[in-house]
Amino acid sequence: YDESSARNSFHHLLQEPDRSTRESYESIEMQDELDRGRVEVRGPDSPPPEGPYLCEYDDVFCPHTLNVLSAMPSRTIGRSRGAIISQYYNRTLKLRRKKSRPTLQNMPRSSRPSIRECDWEPGVMKDEEEERRRLLTKELQVLSSNQRVRMLQMMPLSLREKRDLHVCCNERECRNRLHEKGEIHCCSQIKYSLIKGFRHSWFEFLSFLHMLQLWHYPLKQIGGRFGTSVLSYFIFLKTLLLFSVFLFIGNLFFIVVPQAVYPPVDHHNNQTFTGLELFTGAGYFTDTVLYYGYYSNSTLTEQCSVNANSTQCAKDLSHTLPYNLPLAYIFTIGVAFFITCIALVYSMSKSFGDSYRVNSASGDLAVKVFCSWDFKVIQKRSIKVQSDNICTQLKELLADLQRKSSPMSLRKRFGKIVIEFFAWMLALGSVLGCTFAVYRCSILLLENYNDKLSQNTMLKEASLLALPLMVSSINLLMPYVYNAMRILERDESPEIQLYAAICRNLLLKMTVLGMLCYHWLVQVTRQPQKCWETFVGQELYRFVIMDFIFIILDTIFGELVWRIISETWLKSKRKPEFDIARNVLELIYGQTLAWLGVLFCPLLAGIQIIKLILIFYIKKTSLVMNCQSPRKPWRASHMTTLFITLLCFPSFLGAAVSISYTIWWMKPSEECGPFRTLTTIYESGKVWVRRLEKSNPRFYWFSWIHRHLVENPLVIFTAAGILLIVIYFHAEVVDGQRKIIRLLREQIANEGEDKKFLINKLQDSYKKINSSPGKRASRE
Amino acid sequence: MGQEVSTYVLPNEEIEEYQVLTFLSRQEIISFHHKMFMELANSEEPHHGNIRLSSRIVSSLPELKVNPFRDRICMVFADEDGEFSFDEFLEMMSVLSDNAPLKVKIEYAFRIYDFNGNNYIDEEDLWTVILRLINQNELSEDEITSLVEHILEEADLDNDNFLTPAEFENAIAKAPDFFNDNQERHFYCH
Repeated sequence: YDESSARNSFHHLLQEPDRSTRESYESIEMQDELDRGRVEVRGPDSPPPEGPYLCEYDDVFCPHTLNVLSAMPSRTIGRSRGAIISQYYNRTLKLRRKKSRPTLQNMPRSSRPSIRECDWEPGVMKDEEEERRRLLTKELQVLSSNQRVRMLQMMPLSLREKRDLHVCCNERECRNRLHEKGEIHCCSQIKYSLIKGFRHSWFEFLSFLHMLQLWHYPLKQIGGRFGTSVLSYFIFLKTLLLFSVFLFIGNLFFIVVPQAVYPPVDHHNNQTFTGLELFTGAGYFTDTVLYYGYYSNSTLTEQCSVNANSTQCAKDLSHTLPYNLPLAYIFTIGVAFFITCIALVYSMSKSFGDSYRVNSASGDLAVKVFCSWDFKVIQKRSIKVQSDNICTQLKELLADLQRKSSPMSLRKRFGKIVIEFFAWMLALGSVLGCTFAVYRCSILLLENYNDKLSQNTMLKEASLLALPLMVSSINLLMPYVYNAMRILERDESPEIQLYAAICRNLLLKMTVLGMLCYHWLVQVTRQPQKCWETFVGQELYRFVIMDFIFIILDTIFGELVWRIISETWLKSKRKPEFDIARNVLELIYGQTLAWLGVLFCPLLAGIQIIKLILIFYIKKTSLVMNCQSPRKPWRASHMTTLFITLLCFPSFLGAAVSISYTIWWMKPSEECGPFRTLTTIYESGKVWVRRLEKSNPRFYWFSWIHRHLVENPLVIFTAAGILLIVIYFHAEVVDGQRKIIRLLREQIANEGEDKKFLINKLQDSYKKINSSPGKRASRE
Repeated sequence: MGQEVSTYVLPNEEIEEYQVLTFLSRQEIISFHHKMFMELANSEEPHHGNIRLSSRIVSSLPELKVNPFRDRICMVFADEDGEFSFDEFLEMMSVLSDNAPLKVKIEYAFRIYDFNGNNYIDEEDLWTVILRLINQNELSEDEITSLVEHILEEADLDNDNFLTPAEFENAIAKAPDFFNDNQERHFYCH
């Protein structure tokens, strides 16, 4: 009784009936690996791997035990075609019965047929497999065609077998239909050809759409060279672009175009265009459709221009369509924000659901090993970089695990806490310092602007640029300082360092923005000026332009110049890294500015679109020319979730809060804008509803709804209460699921113990049978 | 598309059938067909049914050439003789495309990572996976052993030192950027 024969019989038993051995093929393919001495080949003659079944015994297993072992369902499910067919038969059966919530016995995600109704015996006869196939075909026909297509696509069978199934289904379907109806009715023939034609054109349209995707090719190029994590930055940029496009189109068609077509009669722009306007947004641009102050507060009808014939004018008046501009203004902005909010929350929850797992306390070493190879990367030098990265990551993870298993001494832990505290105090201090500096600067500049009214206007306009310049330079320089501060926290895990840097950066940006909002909404409105909204709009315009200029400067100096310096002076081969976190936070900051400004400057969304497109191409060129892919550990899916969450929570929420504050509490200026004579902007909605009620008594129910539901604070409290209850329910469900998962894991571990026990007992009993005297004699 | 016109154009019914059975779009199917004929097979055959590519040729595709698992990928998708017909080629591209759902990718990934073919991912397989991933870098034997131990601790639920398909699926269930290999880069003309 020798080992190799046992091993061979093992292999023989495992082979499927329709696939021959692959050993020769394997050896050819592995030859080049062997030549490089990297992989050790375990051929069929090498000793079997260690396992719990062998550790207690010196002998190997007798063939009967091996027979049983190899026939275990969990071992055969992966490859055996019959098992797959029966699994999918069950799935279609369930689909047909439409069980909405799977009970614990029916876990469809599991591949083990033993838990299901159908139990699959290995070594089954061929005609049983045929029987299963027939049943599966029958089930497939009953499904709707969409579901059938989905099922067929999901099956892990070879294409040939899937085609056979598909053909069988269609055949049988045709035959059935023929049997039932005798001959195909002419109307249904037309119907079938219509459906076929429609489906054909639908497939064509889908593939056309697929080709039309924005930046399809550049994104693939970036992904191929730098990997998925850098790609996530550019996909995020694309998302922001889509939001801005949506906002812009709404504004353009409902606000800007009507006002541009019917300009207000009493506005004469007596300023000349100098080049400075592109940066300051003031001067010639002040009295244009760009800003809030230009819009009229009345219903737009055909305005009689000065040169027109008066009789013609009067005649035309009766044919015009009245367009209530103030209402359009507030509705467009309100609806756009509402839809953006819903889209953001939806995409956030979707990406959260994709990457978050209940009870993921087990860590992610398996994910790192199996999933970190980025299949998109195909260039040879990027491959080398990628293997290096993976090696580094695995080492770091190992160090992390070892650190967790061996607790640190008290003194070391205390020292670490002190350093952390110090680092955070430093960060907070810098944030507060910068905010205070911005505050003082803003007050100073405002006084300066309003005092020297008689000074040189060009200089005055240029001095408006000082505040955006200061804020943008703070936003540019401080993140580098925070990155440098990471030296303090050298022995923390890299992921924590990364999150800490993102946190500090975000805190800085949001605090500075908050201070600026305070400055605009409180301080600026106190100043004596004709139109504070236009001024705020201009400020935001300046901030957006200055942000763009600084991004270009950062790209040129941070990447291009740094690469040149490091290549010529420092003589290192390391190119600068593309810092994803910092760039994404810059994008979020820019988008917040755009959202804040869209109420006061409706075309700001358009400027944001142009800015984002230019940033895409600039960053892409700089990336390709100057940078290398990041060495830090990135899980692109987690990071995408993080970015969308950051976009939703501090950024969009902050913008929405300040816009709501403006709409509900701020008094619009007396002399300009579409809400001139009202106490708050919101009042225009109320006024409209009252007017509606008065004009037509049938609309009474509408204004009743408005008065009692929208304006009643009780409704808002009730809605908030319901929302809280729903959240509580979900939290409880998640908690319950966590408990179930824990119990199930214990159960699985117990079943593993049972299996070991049974196998050993089986081996025992076979040994006893074999060692009985009668058997021994017959063997010899 | 491309420089020359292939001598054989796929009929519409076949394209639609492939669209039903795989996750590829129409454009992708046509360009893979073109690729297979023009660049890989270099033949003037009238019908794709007669073309068979050996695994060696298929693993010389730029996307697979640098992949450390290319021999396993070819083995999993090829037929009994280790050759690729158009069907098998499309199947491989379909599973590796963006549109394939995670579940399908996980099923095939299990087969790919099962180097010794015993339908489990055991320690041997894990060793091979790690060695192939780190390429020529150095990780000492102790470190690899410790890594393998930790992985099994994490993912092996019934403590039998193997990963069954179910355990494998459970371990990497939430990794959506997994196994994505976009081939279209080379196939669109511009």
